[in-house]
Amino acid sequence: MAKALANQPWRKANHQRRFEIFIASLIPLPLVAYICYTQQLNPILSFAALFLPLQLISASIVGYKAYGRRGIGDAVLVVLTFFFSAFVLVLLLSVLSSVVIQGSQAISWQFFSQNNVYVSPTTSLDYGGVGHAIVGTLIVVAITTIAAVPLGLAMAIYLTQSQSKTRNLVRTFTQALSGLPSVVSGLFILSIIEATHIGRSGITGAFALFPLMLPTVARVAEEALKLVPVDLRYAALALGAPNYRAFFQVILPAAKSGLLTALLLGLARVVGETAPLILTMNPSSSTSVNPFGGGMTTLPTYIYNYLASSYETSQARAWGAALVLLILVGFLFGLARILGKSKSTKSKATK
Amino acid sequence: MSEPQERRKLVAGPLSKGDKWFFRTTSVAAHFAFVLVALVLGFLLIQAWPVLQSQGLGFITGNTWAPDQKPVVLQLGPMLWGSLLIAFVGILIATPMALSLAYLIVFMLPKRLAKVLTTLVDLLAALPSVVLGLWGLLVFTPVAATWAEVLNKFLGWIPIFHVENAENGFMRSPFIAGWIVAVMIVPIITSVTREIFSQLDKDLINGALALGGSRLSTFRKVILPTSSGGVVGGVLLGLGRAVGETVAIFYVLNLTMDINWGQLLEPHGGAVASWILARFGEASGTEKQGLMAAGLVLFIITLAVNYLANFIVNKAQPWRKN
Repeated sequence: MAKALANQPWRKANHQRRFEIFIASLIPLPLVAYICYTQQLNPILSFAALFLPLQLISASIVGYKAYGRRGIGDAVLVVLTFFFSAFVLVLLLSVLSSVVIQGSQAISWQFFSQNNVYVSPTTSLDYGGVGHAIVGTLIVVAITTIAAVPLGLAMAIYLTQSQSKTRNLVRTFTQALSGLPSVVSGLFILSIIEATHIGRSGITGAFALFPLMLPTVARVAEEALKLVPVDLRYAALALGAPNYRAFFQVILPAAKSGLLTALLLGLARVVGETAPLILTMNPSSSTSVNPFGGGMTTLPTYIYNYLASSYETSQARAWGAALVLLILVGFLFGLARILGKSKSTKSKATK
Repeated sequence: MSEPQERRKLVAGPLSKGDKWFFRTTSVAAHFAFVLVALVLGFLLIQAWPVLQSQGLGFITGNTWAPDQKPVVLQLGPMLWGSLLIAFVGILIATPMALSLAYLIVFMLPKRLAKVLTTLVDLLAALPSVVLGLWGLLVFTPVAATWAEVLNKFLGWIPIFHVENAENGFMRSPFIAGWIVAVMIVPIITSVTREIFSQLDKDLINGALALGGSRLSTFRKVILPTSSGGVVGGVLLGLGRAVGETVAIFYVLNLTMDINWGQLLEPHGGAVASWILARFGEASGTEKQGLMAAGLVLFIITLAVNYLANFIVNKAQPWRKN
């Protein structure tokens, strides 16, 4: 039976074989669970050390029965692939679930509306919140955006619309910038502060985020502009439009959603940055809307400060702020996804 | 029929004034990329120069950090080595995961599920490092410490899993920091690898399968060799990110100047970026300059790694040329 099937790999799996595969992939699970329970083993460890080999063996047996020797190779690769991928997903879900579960304990209305004045690490969670940090994050990131987005867009225009010879060089340097470690960006602004003796304030923090946001915006915007069919541009130019009009009236509207994605991914890149802000801004526990002087706290620096103390309430505050930050990032990210999706459907329609 | 008319020459008209400005502004903006890199290098160098000059080569090889001593000794060796060690551990953990994820997404899952998985992996890339640090410190470290304990118990005879004194516990080790870094770079390697895999010639793969190859042999002998350039580039991009990681490692690693050559489970190690963050608060004068020098060294390392990575990735993706 096995031999016959091995010679006919084109035949679809029948019910019996499906059943065999099902059973084979299920057998190790209760077995490992039983051993784990009776021997009091660590569940994750026994999963890796017992379940994986058992699963490999049982899958290989079924694979051999179904397809002969090549079935073993199939089985091994499939099992390993699913195992490693599942591991990554477990880690991701662990991060998300622990932030949501622990964070939701700290979240309440005043957690959003109040600031950190008169709050010590042991103050009960009924008082104080991250209102000032939300305001600070929004202001700092807004300043960075105002500076980085037009410049990034201009870079993308240069890379896609012009025929200059230095384009490859510019691209290389943009890629180099995108690898800039965030702490070095902070040190860079710090060295300017040291050299010029300007005070640390919200705006220096915003400048420290600028080199991190710029390459992201430039690269994603370049990709978005590349997606616009070049015929559109040629048609506009052939009709006698100058390049800038062809860009602003034809290409820009066509690439709008992609460019918005660039903006949102750039925002998501910098909104959670911590190290550069710690180096370039003074924390403040009161709400401050003045980016030109005095301290300012953002959500990441708020988490950083509260994680430094080991009291339970401060850790709860850190989790709460992490949840707020994650919601912010998730919101930006989801918006970018939706816009990116509508872009791809549109380009399909034009084809 | 008269003589054929003289051919009209095709002459491109001069650029309009608006166009000139359009290209001029965008060109100035684009070249700001050079200016920015030069500014970062320049300002850091100005601040770091006195320290680099006084410490010499010992700055990157020595293992003493004594800003209060006279004369001041600032040496970064253990931190530099620690950064590389952690990045290496991270890559070792992340690469198999990223490769399987990419294989799963491109070759095995139906399109819709593959899209969901892609989104999830991208979401992982968007997690702020301070959130990962929080999770790493409060949730992951206790779990990973038990893994480390078991590793030490059964594989302790291998030098890298050996621990001098098990009573010190297994927390805050390069092993755990490597895991955190791995979580951060999995999405980077995955997205590059996925791109390469999806552009592979499907006939090549089907041909290998038709010749009687299994999925495993096809993966090892067809898919990997044809996409190895891109995979290596993706791994190097991950390395660049891993070396520069700051906040997350700061929480999960015990930073000491006592060099840890490779005993992954020992509860101490180093990382340049985290060292900068850790020392910054109390640093003044010369030490601050020393931290600037550390940043400069870090930047030069990441520049080199990233340049190499992008070079390889671009070579491996000829279809992405403009």
